[in-house]
Amino acid sequence: MAMITDYRRATRRNELILGGAVGLVVVLAVVAVTLLITLRHDAEPPPEGAPDARELTAESCAADQRQPAWVPDGVTRADAACPEDIARRLSDSMSPDRLGTWIVYDLHGAANEDTIPRAAPGSWPQAEVESGAIHPATTITYVTYPGSEELTDELDGDTVSVERLDFPQGGGDARVTRVENNGFGPVRVEWTDDAGSYLLLTVLGRTPDGRSGVEVDDLLRMAGSLTG
Amino acid sequence: MVSTRTWLQVAGGVVLGALVTAAFLQGRAAEDTWTANDPVGECGTGALGGEIGHQRGGEVLAVQNVLSATHGLSPANSIWDADADNASRAFQAWTGLPVDGCVNTNTWVTMRALVIPVCAPEYQCQGPDQLLHWGPAQDAHDAWFLDANCDWATWVLPGVAESPVASRTPYEFAREELTKLRCEG
Repeated sequence: MAMITDYRRATRRNELILGGAVGLVVVLAVVAVTLLITLRHDAEPPPEGAPDARELTAESCAADQRQPAWVPDGVTRADAACPEDIARRLSDSMSPDRLGTWIVYDLHGAANEDTIPRAAPGSWPQAEVESGAIHPATTITYVTYPGSEELTDELDGDTVSVERLDFPQGGGDARVTRVENNGFGPVRVEWTDDAGSYLLLTVLGRTPDGRSGVEVDDLLRMAGSLTG
Repeated sequence: MVSTRTWLQVAGGVVLGALVTAAFLQGRAAEDTWTANDPVGECGTGALGGEIGHQRGGEVLAVQNVLSATHGLSPANSIWDADADNASRAFQAWTGLPVDGCVNTNTWVTMRALVIPVCAPEYQCQGPDQLLHWGPAQDAHDAWFLDANCDWATWVLPGVAESPVASRTPYEFAREELTKLRCEG
């Protein structure tokens, strides 16, 4: 009888050790995963000395809105349109409630400038039309919808690609919609956070010398620098 | 032996399923009306087999409105002409599309991607609720649209609209003659 009791005690001790070991492994795994996620989501601080892009709208109605603190080097200026401005453009009866705030960033460089002739389109030279020499200014449009939790309807089509991509500096990700026209076309970057939902839009334009606009990585970096 | 009650339950389920499917398809159709349009411009034939649809009508007006914001096309009168043709070609060249003056599905979806809701996505604004705002920050042009329950509609600003198009009036992306929006905006 005594031997049987000792055997049971030994078995229980082994079970306790095994259970403890398994528990320890699980706790360590949880801690490791938590640390990894935390490190991954810790946003990289903006480079020291880099100008804060919010200064571009400091004097505008968008000054208090959440907006990118970083913009690509090619951005020279920005102009804001707030809900009251947009409602006024439409009609006196439109309520500014629930409307977004828009910031349009101009891009520097000949490829990004407006080249549309003043003459009627029917008289534009065919060679210039077909080479992409006649185009509007390439800009980056940013829209913020404070208090919103949703993204716009997802586009679909044979030439549309939709994917979720991380911000380069960490801190989240965004839905990136590209209309793939031989390496050119519109790009939309959309994301949400606790304060609202946001959209960045630009066009990777075809020009006689190559392309206009900014890369998708730049848009994602802008998105990841949101502050305010 | 299957009872009458069971048959009634099955029939009720079938009817309910059909209604849900119809509602879903209706919703999808409304969502797709921008990108599932007829070809406009120098391609194909209109939905009615003639010039209506690809040479004039609500879809032509929608293209003209887009091009008014991106390429300064004016006026927007729902009639395809040399100005609309060349502006559409310039749009296609700029966005990497084949330059053929044919506004087909790929050109439609490229135009659609430039349009942004003015109202937060989960809310339905009354009236024009979709904006294509393009150009340099201080000299941008606007083209307005409505994403209505039954169809998309074009809403043209004064100064761009020309007869038979009235400004500040919603016109369906119709595959027929110019038609004012027939459902709630």
